[in-house]
Amino acid sequence: MTLSRRDFLKLGALVTASAALASCAPIYRRLAGDLPSVPWQAMNAHDFLALNRLTFGSRVEERAHFAEIGLKAYIEEQFAYDSINDFDCEILLSSFKTLKMDANELEGISNQLFENYDREKVPNELRQATLLRQLYSKRQLYEVMVEFWSDHFNIFIEKGNGFYLKTVDDREVIRKHALGSFRDLVWASAHSPAMMIYLDNQANEKSHPNENYARELMELHTLGVNGGYSQQDVMELARCLTGWNVKEHFWLGDFVFKADIHDTGEKKVLGLTIQPADQSEAEQVIEYLVTHPSTARFISTKLARRFIADEPPQDIVEKATQTFLDTQGDIQSVLRVILLDGLSLAQPKYKRPANFILSSLRMLNAESDAAALHDYLLRMGQLYFNWPTPDGYPDRSIAWQGNLMPRWQFAFEYIRDEIKNTKHNLKALLDVSATGSLTGDVDALASLLLGAPLERGIRDELLASIRSADANSEETLLIVAASLIASPAFQWR
Amino acid sequence: MFTQVMPTWMPRLSFAPVNAAPRGDTLIVVFLRGAADVLNMVVPHGEDAYYQVRPSLGIPRPDDPHSKKENRALDLDGFFGFHPSMRSLIEVWQSQQLAIIHACGAPDESRSHFKSMELMERGVDDESGPASGWIGRHLASLNTGNTSPLRAIGMGTRPQRSLSGSVPVSALRSITDFHLGGDAHALQQMRSALNAVYQNDVMGQDTLTIMDTLEKLDPLTYAASRNAKYPDTEFGLALKQTAMLIKAEVGLEVSAIDVGGWDTHFAQGSVLGQMPNLMKDLADGLAAFHADMLDHMNQITMVTMSEFGRRASENGSLGTDHGHGSMMMVLGGNVNGGKVHGEWPGLGEGQLIGPGDLAVTTDYRDILSEVLQKRLNNLATAEIFPNYQPNIKNVLM
Repeated sequence: MTLSRRDFLKLGALVTASAALASCAPIYRRLAGDLPSVPWQAMNAHDFLALNRLTFGSRVEERAHFAEIGLKAYIEEQFAYDSINDFDCEILLSSFKTLKMDANELEGISNQLFENYDREKVPNELRQATLLRQLYSKRQLYEVMVEFWSDHFNIFIEKGNGFYLKTVDDREVIRKHALGSFRDLVWASAHSPAMMIYLDNQANEKSHPNENYARELMELHTLGVNGGYSQQDVMELARCLTGWNVKEHFWLGDFVFKADIHDTGEKKVLGLTIQPADQSEAEQVIEYLVTHPSTARFISTKLARRFIADEPPQDIVEKATQTFLDTQGDIQSVLRVILLDGLSLAQPKYKRPANFILSSLRMLNAESDAAALHDYLLRMGQLYFNWPTPDGYPDRSIAWQGNLMPRWQFAFEYIRDEIKNTKHNLKALLDVSATGSLTGDVDALASLLLGAPLERGIRDELLASIRSADANSEETLLIVAASLIASPAFQWR
Repeated sequence: MFTQVMPTWMPRLSFAPVNAAPRGDTLIVVFLRGAADVLNMVVPHGEDAYYQVRPSLGIPRPDDPHSKKENRALDLDGFFGFHPSMRSLIEVWQSQQLAIIHACGAPDESRSHFKSMELMERGVDDESGPASGWIGRHLASLNTGNTSPLRAIGMGTRPQRSLSGSVPVSALRSITDFHLGGDAHALQQMRSALNAVYQNDVMGQDTLTIMDTLEKLDPLTYAASRNAKYPDTEFGLALKQTAMLIKAEVGLEVSAIDVGGWDTHFAQGSVLGQMPNLMKDLADGLAAFHADMLDHMNQITMVTMSEFGRRASENGSLGTDHGHGSMMMVLGGNVNGGKVHGEWPGLGEGQLIGPGDLAVTTDYRDILSEVLQKRLNNLATAEIFPNYQPNIKNVLM
């Protein structure tokens, strides 16, 4: 058997990853969360739903904390994410060297000479780190917002050099401003080389303009499709953006303004007259776009859709829109309105694949290095940074229903401890609850995964169906856990 | 409300029809990765220039008295002939279910594998334009009412770029990957529990049915019709599993298969050697699939393609360098087969382009558009191949 260089590198990465898990076992154990000292209670359905909007699946200890301090204090605590001690998670991520590299270094380690690039290493490290943060970071709301903006400013890493530039975008655009100001977020994204490559602005020249980024900046990033811009506005904004480009030599992968391909004429965008001013022409338009009423409404609607319901209540959207305008797009202020006024009205949403996997891991205090999860996500349709169109992974429930088989398979393999470097703590958890009966254990398990015990009739029917397949009580509990994770109810949050 | 296993508020699945039509054929796309040397696959033996540019690698004429019979090209139409290692396809050719389009390809002249494959799989002219794949856009633009999790599959560890888009597709290494796994005992327990939690759910019950169907399928024990023998290779396995899924009626509409190893810069082999081995694998696989699926051929369209062709002249290492024009094969029950389609640009002086490459006289999108329109009920080719106006060549009935 001959191994290509790429195979060899992949193999190397696998060996490193498994060695890492073995040597970091205590960290993983700490990260997986302390076992509760007393048995947990069923949770009020609304609190359970609310907490699952604010996290990637509520851990037992988060439930206790949430019950103790209440929604308002919980949100403020999460907003002040810098004050949340996340030391263990940071230690774990310190071995992911590419997360801190600039574009030039990332290109260097991907370049295997003769235009042969390792297009897997850098993206896979970013994917793995993203999952580990979602799984283990105590700054859950911050990570939820990172996910939200990663969709809003979606970048498909398979296009061109996006495979290594996205790592810079993730750090300098999304993570830097996820709970900051919307204006800074759009500003950073507009100057992000990954975005320029993805939406073709590097091909936008005076002699042959390319409208792709100009259009999406208004349609998807700020105003929204019905936000009041015309085709003429798209063309004029594209003219302003000519010359916004990416360095191809020295400090390769950095932003550069190329004056020689910039269209120096006067432009008219959205009623503004833009005098020739090189790079600052488009920047003037960006400043205008980020405080536009259409933008305020569009962003508020999307946030309300993510946190409240696919069709969010109009009055909440109105109030959030007004707050957006009053605060010039302060993300925390807008979010505060949506969460405090809106969460009590929240409707169930279908879990996206990553949320499905992560919630099942978090709710059972699992230890995982997350590397083996990519393959499941790929089959479920949400391998991170792999969505080709600029609208990002869909948020609405309807988009995700209908691909059950990989979810069932995941549930079954996960509970049977068949996923590489991934292990749940079901047994230890049930030792704490110590109900002393099978039905008691099933109720405790359902409280963990679904928030509350099953109705008695349903529980008995489920147990009877498993018993009819000749299972002893230890097997029965595992199958109950797997089938609860596979069940319709667990697909919703 | 969380105490039900089956939530009462679960919305019913309803798709907004983009473009609704019943599904057409099962489409199988075989991509020869690395730029196949098509001049040695479908040999223009009727052209003297071929033998001038290929003094060592050239395949002897079907009637060449100076070479052994088994080394000669297998005549197709008096001008073109198959490489002798593709002998197994002759029967398919004679059945008129195989068409060849020579000098076919994309306008891109970068001669870069990466760039050409990316553009071809996205179905676009240059790097701007939609980032999704052409098959992905086909699936997204046609609502066939098919909610099967196996509507489209990419054989291998990840779905091909051509499949990427808003419709979820599955990568399939082996049908057995889709078995729930575990021992029979645990599986029975899980099956029973799933049936209980999904008892009132149509989608769940559909998925259980597919799962049960796949649970019984195993490529190791599969008996092909007509004693067809799939080659014992990755390609053979991919075709065999495609055949199994079609016969099992699990809703398969598209299967994408890759065959690697075609980048033959060095010692590619004339009659025997590395490239002839690849050709034999390809031909034997396609012939086995055709024999196995003969009763289903009316609902199958198969296409082979490669990112570009290779230089007309052989190089100094008995290989060939990156060229331009390629070749496509279309196989199926509704193909205008037994014919080499397309205009032959010739290999003579003044006929080659760039550094000495076969010209492209048929755009690959002409062929794919025809397949989409005539066999897959999808008329949205303007969306699937943006900024391209296809020329229908009547490769299909």
